[in-house]
Amino acid sequence: MDNVILDVRNFNVTYVNKYKKVYAVKDANFSINRGDSLGIVGESGSGKSTMAMALLRLLPEKSTEISGSAYFLGKDLVKLSEEELKKLRWKELSVVFQKSMNSLSPVHRIRTQVEDIYRVHNPKATREEIAERFIHLLKLVNLSDRVYNLYPHELSGGMLQRVSIAISLINNPKLLIMDEATTALDVVTQGQILDEVVKMEKEMDMTRIMITHDMSVVATSCNKVAVMYAGEIMELGYVKDVLKKPMHPYTKGLMASFPSLKGKKEKLQSIGGFLPDLSKKYEGCIFAPRCSSAMDICQKKPPVIEMENGRTVRCHLYGGER
Amino acid sequence: MKRYLFKRLLTGLLTIVIAFVINFLIINLAPGDPIKTLMGKESDDPVLRAALEEKYGLNKPLHIQFFSYLKTAMRGDLGISIIYNRPVADMIAEKLPATILLVLTSGVLSLIIGTAMGIVAARKEGTFIDVLFSGFSYILNSMPSFWLGLMLIIIFSTVLNILPTYGMTDARASYTGMAYVLDVIKHMILPVGTLVLIEIPMYYRIAKSSVLQVTNEDYILTLRATGMSEKKIFNKYIFRNAILPTVTIFGISLAYLITGVSLIETVFAWPGTGRLVLTAINQRDYPTLIGIYLIMSVSIAVVMIVVDIVYAILDPRIRY
Ligand SMILES: Nc1ncnc2c1ncn2[C@@H]1O[C@H](COP(=O)(O)OP(=O)(O)OP(=O)(O)O)[C@@H](O)[C@H]1O
Ligand code: SF4
Ligand SMILES: [Mg+2]
Repeated sequence: MDNVILDVRNFNVTYVNKYKKVYAVKDANFSINRGDSLGIVGESGSGKSTMAMALLRLLPEKSTEISGSAYFLGKDLVKLSEEELKKLRWKELSVVFQKSMNSLSPVHRIRTQVEDIYRVHNPKATREEIAERFIHLLKLVNLSDRVYNLYPHELSGGMLQRVSIAISLINNPKLLIMDEATTALDVVTQGQILDEVVKMEKEMDMTRIMITHDMSVVATSCNKVAVMYAGEIMELGYVKDVLKKPMHPYTKGLMASFPSLKGKKEKLQSIGGFLPDLSKKYEGCIFAPRCSSAMDICQKKPPVIEMENGRTVRCHLYGGER
Repeated sequence: MKRYLFKRLLTGLLTIVIAFVINFLIINLAPGDPIKTLMGKESDDPVLRAALEEKYGLNKPLHIQFFSYLKTAMRGDLGISIIYNRPVADMIAEKLPATILLVLTSGVLSLIIGTAMGIVAARKEGTFIDVLFSGFSYILNSMPSFWLGLMLIIIFSTVLNILPTYGMTDARASYTGMAYVLDVIKHMILPVGTLVLIEIPMYYRIAKSSVLQVTNEDYILTLRATGMSEKKIFNKYIFRNAILPTVTIFGISLAYLITGVSLIETVFAWPGTGRLVLTAINQRDYPTLIGIYLIMSVSIAVVMIVVDIVYAILDPRIRY
């Protein structure tokens, strides 16, 4: 078991406000082994960022309810005290946010912020030491060392995203969560950076969760994939299995709505209908209203069915009572 | 930064020049013919008129007249008060220090107190302290300044009899040195207190909403994710970002105080320009009035330049 970096069980995240509850993540189960890279895909609003933020314990405690467990290196992130958590933050567990254009303070130099962040865990580090380390990381993300002394507004959105990636790597974290971290980049830069990240992972013994809309990002840079829909993980497995032969009707639909990965020109299809209202509880399969294979039994909640090679599918088509 | 500084000083200078132009035009547009006044009602000798026009330069084109006006104004000659028959510049110079003392003291105090309250309320949003401060600020916000001044006089002088209400010094005693300073401070408490109370709500609101907004920014979330202590995040990152709007407000509020202080000076018989303005208005003393407005416009322009430069130092995005 010491190969497991993160083990998430029965994980639920609910946003609570005065008027309603939003069930944003429901009964998520997955685990990531050392050296894995898990892609989480799903359409906008399916709860990907919410899950990441909850794992990082960055959601305001007042307005969210989290249940279940998430063992990270043997410690339950859900129950860990803030003090214990601080020791893990950024050193073992770091993140690149979806809106990384705004993830640096506009009135401080990048240098200042990097120094402060590095000193959280290395209070005695000298400026030279930090500069050397960070300039090395800047090279990895294809930026010149000139950037180090600039203010955020002097960089483009894509450059800022790369700075954020570099900052996330500053402590050689065990687990890196990237939430749409490469969306602001052009295809060439995105490819280069993904290559670098994959290479670094091997060298630095890093594990990664990659949240994205883009199947091709998953295909090129991840070995496992979790497909999320309306807060639930619908299908989970190795990329080579899932992309070759998607089983869940939603995964099939999602794949059909992306250009063919092999470059064949096909007509893109979109999945009809909309994401359901997450503030309601649903009896049966949450995808049923949009599913073309829906059956009578889909009025009942589908179980998570385990297939070979660690693959799971949440759908009545693959077992349980028919 | 150098370029910005240069540009800002230039536009500031331009503002001041425009203030002078407007001032000059007001004098020119004012009803009445100065030559006629000089010649007396009865006589209407064209030779004398021409000679007088020649003497005062009134036959020259308007822009030449403007430059000679500018030159005399620069030398500190703002004309003669028609009521007191004294140079306007001298009268203003006599009264100005008292007004500046009042305006700057209350400006700085309200900035500090209002901002501190706003920050505390934002940090403790929804708690009793927040509700208390917000209520306090709401009540103050709806009070007219002169009325508040009168209430303070009633409470602290009439009832409690602990603070003077009149003037800047005790007229019956002639203190020197430290005793003089203390005497002035004692006289300042009520007028400054009134102005501070009136100004607090503005700083309070801005500081509170700005801290709340910055706290929700993504870069603060990133810093939290790094495990940085809340104290450091607040002291270095939230504060520095949240203080920016307050700097702007400080400029506006100071300008507002400079022009709005007259009323409070009257209520407390403070010997500043405020009273000069009111007497000048009442007695139609145009030269005095125009002189004071000129000084006010120039001081506001200067305040704005300083505030903008401070802002540029704090916010790198401005220094284009
Ligand atoms: N603070 C909040 N309060 C209530 N509901 C929220 C809150 N934040 C997000 N949600 C809801 O939770 C659901 C999941 O949002 P989330 O941001 O996790 O989606 P996502 O999968 O990351 O989408 P995207 O791909 O657009 O980033 C959405 O339906 C959203 O409306
Ligand atoms: S359970 Fe039924 S409705 Fe849900 S995805 Fe499977 S077939 Fe479709
Ligand atoms: Mg998201």
